[in-house]
Amino acid sequence: MKIDHFDPPGNNSDFVGNPALAKKWSAKMSQFFDEGVSRANGAISAGGTCQFYNPVTHGLTAPDLPPADIAWNGFPRKFLGSGPGVPPKFDLAEPPAATGVPRDQDEYLEWYANKDTAEKITAIHFTCEGYDYYQFLGAEAPDILVALYQKFISPAVAKADLFSGGIYDVLNHWNTRDAAMHLTHGANALEAEVLLGGDATVRRKNSAGVEVTSPDVLCTCGAFGDPRRNSDPAIGAGVNALVRQGRMITLANPVGLYIDHIDDASFRLPDGSATNGWFQIVRGSPGHTLRAIFAPPAGSPFIVSDVKIGGTPVKFGGQIAQKITMKLTGVASASNTIHNAPVPCVVPVGTAHLTTGAAPKPKRPTRGGN
Amino acid sequence: MARRKTAPADNPAGASNPAPKPRPVAEPLLDVHDMQGNILAGFKKDHQHLIALKIRGIPEARRWLARVLPHISSLAEVHQFNALFKMRRARLNRDPHGLAATWMNLAFSHDGIAKLASADDADALPDDSFRLGLGKERSEFLGDPLPAGQTDPTAKWFVGGTGRAPDIFLIVASDCPKQLALEVERIRPGAADGPDAPEPIWDERGETRTAQPGHEHFGFRDGVSQPGVRGLISRSPKMYLTPRVLKPPVDGSPEFAKPGQPLVWPGHFVLGYPFGDRRDGSRQDSVPLARPWFKNGSFLVFRRLNQNVAGFTAFVAAAAAKLAAEPGFDGLTPAHLGALLVGRWPSGAPVSRAPALDNPALAKDGLSNNDFLFTVDTPPPDFLPRSGASPGAFPRALESLNGPVCPHAAHIFKVNPRDHVTDVGNEFDTLTRRILRRGIPFGPSLADPLNGDDGVERGLHFLCYQASIVDQFEFLQQDWTNNRAVPPTANGHDLIIGQSPTLERSITLSPIVPGAAGQTVTAPTQWVTPTGGGYFFAPSISAIRNVLCRQDGQP
Repeated sequence: MKIDHFDPPGNNSDFVGNPALAKKWSAKMSQFFDEGVSRANGAISAGGTCQFYNPVTHGLTAPDLPPADIAWNGFPRKFLGSGPGVPPKFDLAEPPAATGVPRDQDEYLEWYANKDTAEKITAIHFTCEGYDYYQFLGAEAPDILVALYQKFISPAVAKADLFSGGIYDVLNHWNTRDAAMHLTHGANALEAEVLLGGDATVRRKNSAGVEVTSPDVLCTCGAFGDPRRNSDPAIGAGVNALVRQGRMITLANPVGLYIDHIDDASFRLPDGSATNGWFQIVRGSPGHTLRAIFAPPAGSPFIVSDVKIGGTPVKFGGQIAQKITMKLTGVASASNTIHNAPVPCVVPVGTAHLTTGAAPKPKRPTRGGN
Repeated sequence: MARRKTAPADNPAGASNPAPKPRPVAEPLLDVHDMQGNILAGFKKDHQHLIALKIRGIPEARRWLARVLPHISSLAEVHQFNALFKMRRARLNRDPHGLAATWMNLAFSHDGIAKLASADDADALPDDSFRLGLGKERSEFLGDPLPAGQTDPTAKWFVGGTGRAPDIFLIVASDCPKQLALEVERIRPGAADGPDAPEPIWDERGETRTAQPGHEHFGFRDGVSQPGVRGLISRSPKMYLTPRVLKPPVDGSPEFAKPGQPLVWPGHFVLGYPFGDRRDGSRQDSVPLARPWFKNGSFLVFRRLNQNVAGFTAFVAAAAAKLAAEPGFDGLTPAHLGALLVGRWPSGAPVSRAPALDNPALAKDGLSNNDFLFTVDTPPPDFLPRSGASPGAFPRALESLNGPVCPHAAHIFKVNPRDHVTDVGNEFDTLTRRILRRGIPFGPSLADPLNGDDGVERGLHFLCYQASIVDQFEFLQQDWTNNRAVPPTANGHDLIIGQSPTLERSITLSPIVPGAAGQTVTAPTQWVTPTGGGYFFAPSISAIRNVLCRQDGQP
């Protein structure tokens, strides 16, 4: 893949009429890729070829395979039930929101539930936009940032609400206590996505010399992402499988984490009808959704808390998140001529710990987390 | 899920870095006399009769239960018979004539438990879907199609459905059809059980197809892949429920009993036993139970699935002809396309090891026909020396640069992605989704599938056991087979059992000739349609005796 610039996530229209801003964003993305290449280069075996590349500065004109989606579930794995028949801990995934407190939702999908005075859910807002994109806007185009808040959150948002000492406050109350404009979890950044993609292009072997392919072990071994998530092992394993085939890898433009789709076929309203029109894409497009609202269309006599999924009433936004599939898209070269030797793990994944079930404490340099 | 050798190839001697030895993992002693036998051992009979009962008088139901209690087959009985049968068949090289057994197991719906124990007890069973029952809501959840003019997918079901769940569900099975008929008559509630004895509301015979034993009606061999359940049936001498012929791995990858049969902790199938951690498979203490008598019980899913054999056959023939005209699919036959949709050839030979042609010899080799991984070149099995086993001389399953050899939306991939990462985790998470299938076909074989339908019903009595209907059966059906996007990526639906509201589904196939683009095959309708079903709990034998049969608090 060879491109001359990076577009904004979801091909959003934030930069329309502002080529200078678009250029700056492309340059920032390019920096992320260069860092990813640098990290991968530093990790591969001597004499090897880095299989991750920046499609702007080092684009490849040779044919590619069809773009490959890598998908994962939007509900955090850490809140799933601890054993057979144990239900997910939906309540822990969305404790009462508070100013300055990031959401503990780490699958590149976060949500905020609007409730009425009876604590019934009236709408759920989903976002999958990295906070670093908004930090970029805060630094380079604060008026656009404020306009986005006013459009998607509330006309009452003032610039002073969003900035502290001239710096955009990611955890401002409009993005934590009162709403969700973009991702807040420390790990949910676009930069992290790029670096994770780059780190995963390094082939690894364990202490016994066997190439690591198992998704979670690969995460730990390569010290990228967090093996306790749905997303990071899926991304890492998906990328690494293409790398083991000898291919060059990059991420599809526009780079982003996207809502692929919601499986709402089993959602039912009290009158037995389906929730057609309830999942509304408000930013991005189908398959590349950046922001969506699950709420009754105008004129509906029902609210979200009236919805049942297979007979189970919706009490938490996480029940909807569990029906959302997330994705990113990778691009791999058709040629498959690079055969780097696997290198040792960053974090040793010996063998004995695995037979006893005590996994090593994960190290997360790629996605900081909180 | 890659199996590894104990001494890797690049460290054969292990002199400076000795190959680590696996630590033994303590497996629980299974209560073989208290568990019903079909759960972990499987009846494995050619003839099976299903009976659905409705409770009328509770005292009469309890008396009837007490009468049939001695007929309930335990795990000990069924397992020992299966072992004997297998031993004899190995010596004779055919099924042993005259060696026959007849078994019976039963299970209860939420209403059945509520009537015989209490509503609180029924609600305390740890499964939301069991509590809700397989009525309109869960049927919609599974994506079941709506009959014309109906708003409830279960409206036309022959058994089960909204407000019509049986209270009690019996499975009677035998090697001998005459013995089966006699046992059914012995067990079925009759006049002697009183006027308010449980009422049979539906029953139906399932039979192994004589035209193709072991194959379902579409013609594919069924039940090849079953997990191996961990656990001991005896401490002294130490005997595992699932015999092992492979060395345990040393790299933390899943342990296999035999090639292609991963070991799964019993807590995923029976309540009250250790289960496996979804991240690394390590043994976890059993989930606490609200009632002690839930232990040794299991949840049973029954689905009566009609199969439109003529429709499926016609679709595959037409789709194969159309695809064969596309670059990359030259020479594609209907049999080959069918194999790509299922992931196995009709014989049972896996596409992963027989990419171009069926291989009946491979299909017959029980140590080879399930031995394949999806993400790496599958290493040869590392047999225990004492096992006497050796790898068959069949092509190994290899990775392909041409796209996945077994399509990612093939039926066997969708329901068991093996070593492939999924949207919710790794190979150990996938193990927690496994079910124990106990299905059998019903209805006569269609004589000439290419000549249209004969108007006769046929299909599969799908039965499976698990510790969680939500996490296992429903997850597989709803989250994976119905989902075009996962697992692992956007390769389409399971065209065999996947369902969609519009009935239309699609699958993306890699070219069978390298160098061309893949193609998407779209199916305009479903050929598998639910026509009955229910969610049940199969309690331990002691629970039936001490809790469900009790009269006024007395057993």
